[in-house]
Amino acid sequence: MKEVKLSVDVAGIQMKNPVMTASGTFGFGEVYEDFFSNELLGAMVVKGVTLKARKGNSAPRLVETPAGLINSIGLENPGVKVVLQELLPSLKKYDVPVIVNISGNVVEEYGELAGLLSSSSVVKGLEVNISCPNVKEGGMAFGSSPEMAAKVIREVKKSTNLPVIAKLSPNVTNVVEIALAVEEAGADAISLINTLLGMVIDIKRKKPVLGNIMGGLSGPAVRPVAVRMVWQVAQRVKVPVIGMGGISTAEDALQFIMAGATAVAIGTGQFVNPCCCVDVIKGLEDFCRKNGIKNINDLRGVAWNE
Amino acid sequence: MKFHIPNALVVSHKKIGDKIYSLIFNAPEIANSASPGQFVHIRCSNGLDPLLRRPISINDVDKEKGLVSIWYQVVGKGTEFLSKVKVGECLDVIGALGRGFDSNIDGKNVLLIGGGMGIAPLIYLGSVISKKNTVRGIFGGRNKDVIPCILSESNFDYELCTEDGSIGREGLVTDLLEDQLHKEKIDAIYSCGPKPMLTAMQRISSREEIPLQVSLEAVMACGVGACLGCAFKGYRDGEEAWLKVCKDGPVFWDSEVKW
Repeated sequence: MKEVKLSVDVAGIQMKNPVMTASGTFGFGEVYEDFFSNELLGAMVVKGVTLKARKGNSAPRLVETPAGLINSIGLENPGVKVVLQELLPSLKKYDVPVIVNISGNVVEEYGELAGLLSSSSVVKGLEVNISCPNVKEGGMAFGSSPEMAAKVIREVKKSTNLPVIAKLSPNVTNVVEIALAVEEAGADAISLINTLLGMVIDIKRKKPVLGNIMGGLSGPAVRPVAVRMVWQVAQRVKVPVIGMGGISTAEDALQFIMAGATAVAIGTGQFVNPCCCVDVIKGLEDFCRKNGIKNINDLRGVAWNE
Repeated sequence: MKFHIPNALVVSHKKIGDKIYSLIFNAPEIANSASPGQFVHIRCSNGLDPLLRRPISINDVDKEKGLVSIWYQVVGKGTEFLSKVKVGECLDVIGALGRGFDSNIDGKNVLLIGGGMGIAPLIYLGSVISKKNTVRGIFGGRNKDVIPCILSESNFDYELCTEDGSIGREGLVTDLLEDQLHKEKIDAIYSCGPKPMLTAMQRISSREEIPLQVSLEAVMACGVGACLGCAFKGYRDGEEAWLKVCKDGPVFWDSEVKW
């Protein structure tokens, strides 16, 4: 069989394949350079950025759970100024769309961040984090109510012409309701899921393990929840969905695509296998070739068929 | 340069103490690029639990044969899995990672002070710096069971001590350190071991104004500076900051650590 078409279009962001990095797991594109070329990726989603520098949460920030990992990093980042001046320019050399994940303490900060980042020629899209479980203000609080979520997205849309991706939290009663609200507010795509709020108690110390008490659960343990949410959301919205949560193989990624995702993102899987992203890309191509699929887009949502 | 070796052949695996093992694997890329104090990040499961790799400091390398040696103690699921790996089987390894000891020194009088498994990286450091420096080791632990029994293969002098006197002198490494400081002028101390030991080391070295480097440990996910998980409170450019053990360390100057 000839070439398999892996390229996808996520809200006007042209990607040579559907595999992206998940925000907060790939630094600013420098950390995995020794293991594979960034050029191979569909898109790079860099570490979450805030208006001012954030030192992050207190230690311990990590605890391992069965087939999972709970983190409470707390959006540690050097602030948007340093990101714009020092970190993003070095990504210009790659022929890969760069998507910047943004978080604000208040609605206006999201708008300000969007405006500032739109000035960079490197940035091809904004992922709006309304789902971080690890910060006191903003974060998940914005993503838990349809009205607040829509308000943030409208603010961002007002401040940028870049494609706007809303990153949703799984820690809600009805994810479809939030998805429809952000779509209505103008979101050009939807990322889901962020991490699931969780905690572990050290029974010897009789205390929570994490310095921040709770954190976000990721890894293979959360995958069925993520696939279910992509399935529910992708059938109800018209905008493309980026699926993420526990992907470590092409087979995992295919579940998300068949559930309706246009693209997928890899995070914790990359910590386990530093070549995870490229292994998944290759695995997707192999699957298509073996199964006579000419275009990966033909697999999107196939599991909906009765 | 960091390498991912998904099939590093295990060529030797021996029990060298109570729950302590010495494991040697073939990974020429890592052996040739490593420096003392760096670590390898090893997959310790065939499935998803434990999910994360385990960071283990490099105990020695043989650049010619392309071999890397580690010592580890069985403390949980990951190291339990590792202890069952047989010679002839393969490990999935990333390395060499992190910032190691400042080993580019010449003509110095150096003390290496290790506690328990913290002795491991100092063996590698000692074998490298003893070529151009006077190196002496002070190694200790609770009892003889936690002191690796293959220590004698090291190529520099060392003294042993245990809290119960079951091997070497009875006492703490800090007791032996104080004795040594009475005898001669020390230019630098390199240390690795449990946090209370390192804290005691820092007190003595700052009193004596001797430069001190310590190797720290932490629970890690990525091992390469991506996840920002292995944070501890220290100082960068004079300001308090969350330093990362995997990338900023695991070796730090005492002035970088908030004690």
